[in-house]
Amino acid sequence: MLGMLKALKTTVRHLPMKKITVQYPEEREQLPERSRGLFRTIIDPASDDPRCRACTLCETNCPVQVIRVNYESKYELPAPNEARIAAVRADLQPKPDLALLGPILDEYRDAGWGMMAVLQHTQEAYGYLPRLALTEIAVQTGTSLSQLYGVVSFYNQFRLSPVGKHIITVCHGTACHVAGAPLITAAFSEELGIEVGKTTKDRLFTLQAVSCVGACALAPVVRVGDDDTHGRMTPDKARSLVRDLRKLEGLE
Amino acid sequence: MITVTDKASAIMAGLKRAYQADAVVAHEGALEVRICAGTACHASGRPAVTAAFKEELAARGLADKVRVVETGCHGFCEQGPIVVLQPKGIFYARVRADDVAKIIAASIEGDGFHEKRLYRDPQSGEPIPYEKDIPFYTGQRRLVLALNGKVDPYSIDDYLSQGGYKALAGVLADNDPEDVIESITASGLRGRGGAGFTTGTKWHLTRLSAGDEKYVICNADEGDPGAFMDRSVLEGNPHVVIEGMIIAAFAIGASEGYVYVRAEYPFAVDRLRHALDQARQRGILGPSVLGSDFAFDVFVNEGAGAFVCGEETALMQSIEGKRGMPRTRPPYPAVSGLWGKPTNINNVETYANVPWILTHGADEFFAMGIDKSRGTKIFSLTGKVANGGLVEVPMGSTLRHVIFTVGGGMLPGREFKAVQLGGPSGGCLPADMLDTPIDYEILTASGAIVGSGGLVVVDDTTCMVDLARFFLQFTQDESCGKCVPCRLGTKRMLETLERICEGEGREGDIALLEELSHYIIDGTLCALGGTAPNPVLTTLKYFRHEVEAHIDEKCCPAGRCKALITYYIDAEACTGCMLCAKKCPTNCITGEKKQPHVIDTAACIKCDTCRQVCNFDAVKVRSGIKADATAEKA
Repeated sequence: MLGMLKALKTTVRHLPMKKITVQYPEEREQLPERSRGLFRTIIDPASDDPRCRACTLCETNCPVQVIRVNYESKYELPAPNEARIAAVRADLQPKPDLALLGPILDEYRDAGWGMMAVLQHTQEAYGYLPRLALTEIAVQTGTSLSQLYGVVSFYNQFRLSPVGKHIITVCHGTACHVAGAPLITAAFSEELGIEVGKTTKDRLFTLQAVSCVGACALAPVVRVGDDDTHGRMTPDKARSLVRDLRKLEGLE
Repeated sequence: MITVTDKASAIMAGLKRAYQADAVVAHEGALEVRICAGTACHASGRPAVTAAFKEELAARGLADKVRVVETGCHGFCEQGPIVVLQPKGIFYARVRADDVAKIIAASIEGDGFHEKRLYRDPQSGEPIPYEKDIPFYTGQRRLVLALNGKVDPYSIDDYLSQGGYKALAGVLADNDPEDVIESITASGLRGRGGAGFTTGTKWHLTRLSAGDEKYVICNADEGDPGAFMDRSVLEGNPHVVIEGMIIAAFAIGASEGYVYVRAEYPFAVDRLRHALDQARQRGILGPSVLGSDFAFDVFVNEGAGAFVCGEETALMQSIEGKRGMPRTRPPYPAVSGLWGKPTNINNVETYANVPWILTHGADEFFAMGIDKSRGTKIFSLTGKVANGGLVEVPMGSTLRHVIFTVGGGMLPGREFKAVQLGGPSGGCLPADMLDTPIDYEILTASGAIVGSGGLVVVDDTTCMVDLARFFLQFTQDESCGKCVPCRLGTKRMLETLERICEGEGREGDIALLEELSHYIIDGTLCALGGTAPNPVLTTLKYFRHEVEAHIDEKCCPAGRCKALITYYIDAEACTGCMLCAKKCPTNCITGEKKQPHVIDTAACIKCDTCRQVCNFDAVKVRSGIKADATAEKA
């Protein structure tokens, strides 16, 4: 309640101020010619601490590599907050069996696997990347959890929440798009009652779109699981596919 | 002292050792059933066909005489599953398990054909029984794909028996890396991944770079939607890529190689891993390649679904286990690449060309093609074309040759509208550009690119604005976010295009799109951003009238943009069969039996089901202010 009032106060305080966001590209701001702007870290006036959390994203992103981040930050997260977040998140997901990680981390040490292979095998073992498993990997490999999160969130393949039993993948390659893939996705999402990228409440179906499965001659293509490919789909066939799968599960 | 001849004979002995004499291999003249095991044929029912062949041959007591081989992709994906009977070369298309008995009876035991599953010419409808006579194959010149469909990708013996690894043995015996690079330069081979950098020069630069440790990377992160040639090469003949990589490693002095392959290609990964294991067992990879003093090994890295990782610097970041974001060049990978060491990175198709060039000579390769584009290029031909699939043609062939001679023209009743080249980095070319030769420079000047080789043919039912929006959506999703012009510029462009597709296009939108495009091209680091506006620019260049129709008349001429169209039933064509009413998910179609039906446009969600199920073409689409006005009058 107090937090909400505080936020409301900030909103009200900003209400009469002049708007600084410019609706690019319709509106333009007048910049001096050859302006490149300036870098500076913002210092929090309350504590005299820099706002920078040393996440190193600016260092990774800088096209000309002129930023170097000093990792020795004196900043620390307040302890009770982190514990609460960790507890809440861990409760949300089923507790993963960390023993499954053993062989994967052994390979990392012995066979020199890259981080990508470690994450891929972890996802294979659990079906997704549980937070506790990621923490374990971070501790054991000496990387920070935030850096791992940076890698995981970058790649489409990695999932941070459990998926349904049947993963329905609709190909959205050019050939499939031209042959009507958006209509297929719309039919699936209507029949399942979920959006693309989401899982049904009963954890039976996950609907996802992929950029190309490389079976363009059969466009539009839908894949269920890893191996069950359906070519030359129509919205009608999509709906009956879901019904068939539901029947298989004894639902209808 | 070891003389040069001693060394050469040691290598030849190594090659002989690798080739196990007692292995069962395919050879000309033997009775064989070759079943295509590419992804498309697999999806159309290949496993059942193979099982049926094995069972049926055993039942007829022919199991010892006829060998059943699952080969790599034949390229004719449209007609899958494909079965070719050797030695006669009889070609069966779209084979089902229940055809197998008839095929064996007619063509293996007898001397005739099982007519029902023979390939038929799309125009005349005449059956063409032999593979060598089918226009799809006669119009091609297959170097890289030569052994696809001939060898079993799981058998190194098959590859060796077809002269595989001979080029490598020759290179090792001569022991002259400079000479190899010279041959590759003389052949005029250029990178097949899209940019078209001269391969010989790249190898030369990597060789010159200082450093005792160097790497060779094969880029198999084929992310372009609508392109699948790298997948087919890896699935059909993984050893040719491995051989090319070993030769490259020898030429530049590298000791380790990586193949970065998409995780979405499970077959390709599996076959590649298997091929690498076999090569290690036979002494082709390892501490002593074919008994020479050259050590080399290859590792497989699976991608994780990020399109930008096809960019070379991003790919190396990804192998290192980081976020796959491109970095500035120079320094080029040839100087500072993977783990900061000199690295040579080429596409799958580029490596697959290398053994051929060294076996047949650089001159023969140079003889194909025009100007600065030499050799052949593989295209994956898809869309509304009669014979889609994998097509390998000499450089300099025209687009018309690829689409109409090899591809057999449009699907019956369809009209050619445009061809999309090079995926999200390329562009659409209209019908009057069909005589453009396939050449890196000429195509770039036209606004499209050769790119990785995706060729999507579209007909008059495809909306060009929607297609441009689709590609922009793709690049917007896949932009890594490093450069602001790419991250935000494509977003703003996408919003503008979406507005146009929604019927809310404004005057000046076209100028805005053009201006933003040029900012994006100028202000990004890698090719993803630098080419992202190409689909929009070519659409504006060649199909401007269609964009203007969307903005000015709120009309989608192709009848695709949902917000601009309404479905209606042609009362004269409707027979009142009630099929559409039954299939409609929102029950918005009403009508009595044998009476014309009516669509309630207010409840219609425009899912297109009714139009697809109608057997009489009675469901129609109209679009635009004018069309609506006439409809209201009527």
